[in-house]
Amino acid sequence: MTAPFPTPVTDETQRLLSPDELAAALRDIGARRYHNLHPFHRLLHDGKLNKDQVRAWALNRYYYQAMIPIKDAAVLARMEDAGLRRIWRQRIVDHDGDAPGDGGIERWLKLAEGVGFARDYVESTQGILSATRFSVDAYVHFVKERSLLEAIASSLTEMFSPTIISERVAGMLKNYDFITKDTLAYFDKRMTQAPRDADFALDYVQKHATTPELQRQAMAALTFKCNVLWTQLDALYFAYVAPGLIPPDAWTPGTGLVAETATAQAAGTGTLGPHDVPRLPRGVRLRHDAVRNQHVLLAPERTFDLDANAVAVLEVVDGTRSVRDIAGLLAEKFTADRTVIEADILVMLNDLATKRVLER
Amino acid sequence: MNAITPNAPALPAPVGLLAELTHRCPLRCPYCSNPLELDRRSGELDTATWQRVLTEAAALGVLHVHLSGGEPTARNDIVEITQTCAKLGLYSNLITSGVGGALAKLDALYDVGLDHVQLSVQGVDAANAEKIGGLKNAQPQKFAFAERVTQLGLPLTLNSVIHRGNIHEVEGFIDLAVTLGAKRLEVAHTQYYGWAYVNRAALMPNKAEVDRSIRIVEAARERLKGQLVIDLVVPDYYAKYPKACAGGWGRKLMNVTPAGKVLPCHAAETIKQLEFWYVTDHSLGDIWANSPAFTAYRGTDWMQEPCRSCDRREKDWGGCRCQALALAGDAAATDPACSLSPLHAKVRDLATEEAAETPPDYTYRTIGSNVQSNVRSPLNEEAPL
Repeated sequence: MTAPFPTPVTDETQRLLSPDELAAALRDIGARRYHNLHPFHRLLHDGKLNKDQVRAWALNRYYYQAMIPIKDAAVLARMEDAGLRRIWRQRIVDHDGDAPGDGGIERWLKLAEGVGFARDYVESTQGILSATRFSVDAYVHFVKERSLLEAIASSLTEMFSPTIISERVAGMLKNYDFITKDTLAYFDKRMTQAPRDADFALDYVQKHATTPELQRQAMAALTFKCNVLWTQLDALYFAYVAPGLIPPDAWTPGTGLVAETATAQAAGTGTLGPHDVPRLPRGVRLRHDAVRNQHVLLAPERTFDLDANAVAVLEVVDGTRSVRDIAGLLAEKFTADRTVIEADILVMLNDLATKRVLER
Repeated sequence: MNAITPNAPALPAPVGLLAELTHRCPLRCPYCSNPLELDRRSGELDTATWQRVLTEAAALGVLHVHLSGGEPTARNDIVEITQTCAKLGLYSNLITSGVGGALAKLDALYDVGLDHVQLSVQGVDAANAEKIGGLKNAQPQKFAFAERVTQLGLPLTLNSVIHRGNIHEVEGFIDLAVTLGAKRLEVAHTQYYGWAYVNRAALMPNKAEVDRSIRIVEAARERLKGQLVIDLVVPDYYAKYPKACAGGWGRKLMNVTPAGKVLPCHAAETIKQLEFWYVTDHSLGDIWANSPAFTAYRGTDWMQEPCRSCDRREKDWGGCRCQALALAGDAAATDPACSLSPLHAKVRDLATEEAAETPPDYTYRTIGSNVQSNVRSPLNEEAPL
C-alpha cells in the first residue's frame, strides 16, 4: 500500500511488454501473492504450529500433490508438439515415479506418515477440507478449459518455490523435533526440479505471449494459481488455528493416525484448543520479582521470565475462562484482532502445557 | 576493600537457596551429597534463625527455596519454616526421602502452602532400592507418600540418582514416575563428591551403560511429551565438557548448612583453604557479596589456562571447583571432567577401570564415623601418560 509495485496495470491500455519486463511483472505477482507470505506459512516455518496443525497441513496438501500429475496430464493432452510433450511429461514422471515406492507423491506420503498418519487414511483424502478440494479441482479445470498459454503460465509459481522450500526445510527441522530430514525428502528433489520446470515454462510464456492481451492472460493465470495456493492456507488457518472451526467431515486431531501415535496422544494431555479452559496448577505461581523488577512464573525446579504479553495472558488464566474468552478480553484491552490473539496465545499456552506447568 | 567501584559489573542476585535444615536422615545412601563430617542435631540452627535467613533471602532476590537435608521433615518445625516461605512469596520445594515422619507431616505442609515435592527413589525393585538406601521397608513408605502427594494435587518430581547398582532400572524409573503420577522425573547420574566420592568404585557405571541410559531417556521424552518432563544429568567423568556447577560459583545459588555455614555449593567445604561465613555472624546479603568463600571463584579472574582463554569460560565457568581439587589437586585448575583438561583422559580411564572391576561394598553414610578415603586419584596413578 505504501511501496510502489512495478506490476503493470492489467487493463486494455497496457502496452506490449518486453520479455524481461514480462518476467519482472510475473515475478512481482509472486512477490505479493505467493503463499510464503501467508500467516499460516509463517507459523509453520517459525515452529509456532503444534503437531496437530502441522498434521492438518500435511494431510490437506497431499490432495494437491496427488492431483498434480492429473493436472499435468491434462496440459499434456492439449500439446500438439511432440517436443513440448517430451519435456512436459517429465513432470508426471517426477510426481508418479517410474515404479511403486518412487516419486513425489510417495515422498509426500512419507512426510504424512512421518507426522503420524496412517497411509490409507491420507490416500483416501476423506479428511481434507472442502476448500482444499475446491481449490485444487479448480486448478485442474482451469488448465483444461483455458488456453495452453494460460495453462503453462499457471505453473509459474515454481519460480518462487525454491525460496519457500529452503525456508520451510530449515525452519521445520529447527523447530519441530518430530520432523526429520528423511520426512522432508520430498523437498530435496523439488529444489532441483522446480527451477528446471520454471525455466522452461517462463521461456515458453515469454515466447508465446506476443500481444498485450496474451500477456494479460498469462499474468492473470499466475495470479489465479497464487490464489489456489493461498485459499488452501486460509482454509487451514480457519479450521485449525483460529477461530478453529473444523468443518463436520474434516479431520479432527487424534484420528487417522497409526495406532501407537493415537495411544500415546490419548495418554498425554494433548493440545489445548480455543474452547479449553487453561489453569495454572498447584505449584505454578505467577509472581512479580521486585528485586529484578520483572514478572516470573515459578514452577517446580524452574523459573520462566515473562514478557509483558505473557503476563497479560497469565493474569487472566483463572481456571474459569476459556482460551477464546481470554483472547476476547485481551482483544478488547489492546484493541486488537481476537483471532490473531487467539492463535498467538494458543501457541504460548500449548508450549507451557508441554512443559507441564499449565493444565486444563 | 569491597566498596563498589564504578566499573564493576553488577552482582547478580541469587535465585536459589538450598536450605539444608538437618543432616539427620533415616536413609544411608552411599552417594549422599552431604559432607563426610555431618552436623549433629545439637548444632542445628533454631526456627527463628531459619525464619530470619528466609526473610533475608527473599529481600536479596531468592525465588526458590529447596528445603533439604538430610531429611527435612525430621525437623519438628518443618511446617513453620514452610509457612514462612509461603508468607514471603518464596517457592518452596521439599526434597524428601518420603520415609519416617514425612507422610504424617505432609497434609500440614500442604495446608501452609508447600509448592512442590521432590521425592527420592533409590531403585525400582524394592529389595535393590532398600539395599542402596540402607533402610528396610522404605519402598512401600515412599509409594504411600507419593500417592498422598498427588491426591492433594501437589506437583511431584521423582528423583533417581543413577549408578551401577540401578542403571539397569532406568526404564523402570520412567514407568514408576508415570504410575505414581509424577510430572517430572530427574534421571541424575551420580556426581562424585561427598559420600559418592568415597564410594566411587562401587558406583561408577561403564560408558556403554551410560550411553544406553541416555538413549532410553531420549526415547521416553518423545513418547511421554506433555505427560512427563524428564531431566537428565549425565556423569561428568564421561562428558566432553563439565557442567556449570551450581550455575557458576556464587552466581545463582546459596547453600546454608544445618549449622548455618553458607556455601556456594554443597561440596564446597572440601576446599579447606576457603573461609566460610555463618548466618549467625553475618546477613545473607553480606555473605553473598563479601564472604571470602563466595568471592574466591566468582567470575573468571581466578581462572588458569586452558579456562582463562576458553570461549566456554562463561558457559560452564570452568566446571566444578571441588572436583578440580579432588582430581587435579588444585581448586583453581580446569575441572578434569573437561576434555580440555590435561588430566581428562586419565580420569576417563580411571572411571573405565573402576567400572570394570568387581564393585566393593558400600561405605554407608553415617553421622560420627571416621571415614578413611582411599579413592584413587589420577595424580598418583602410575598409568602411562
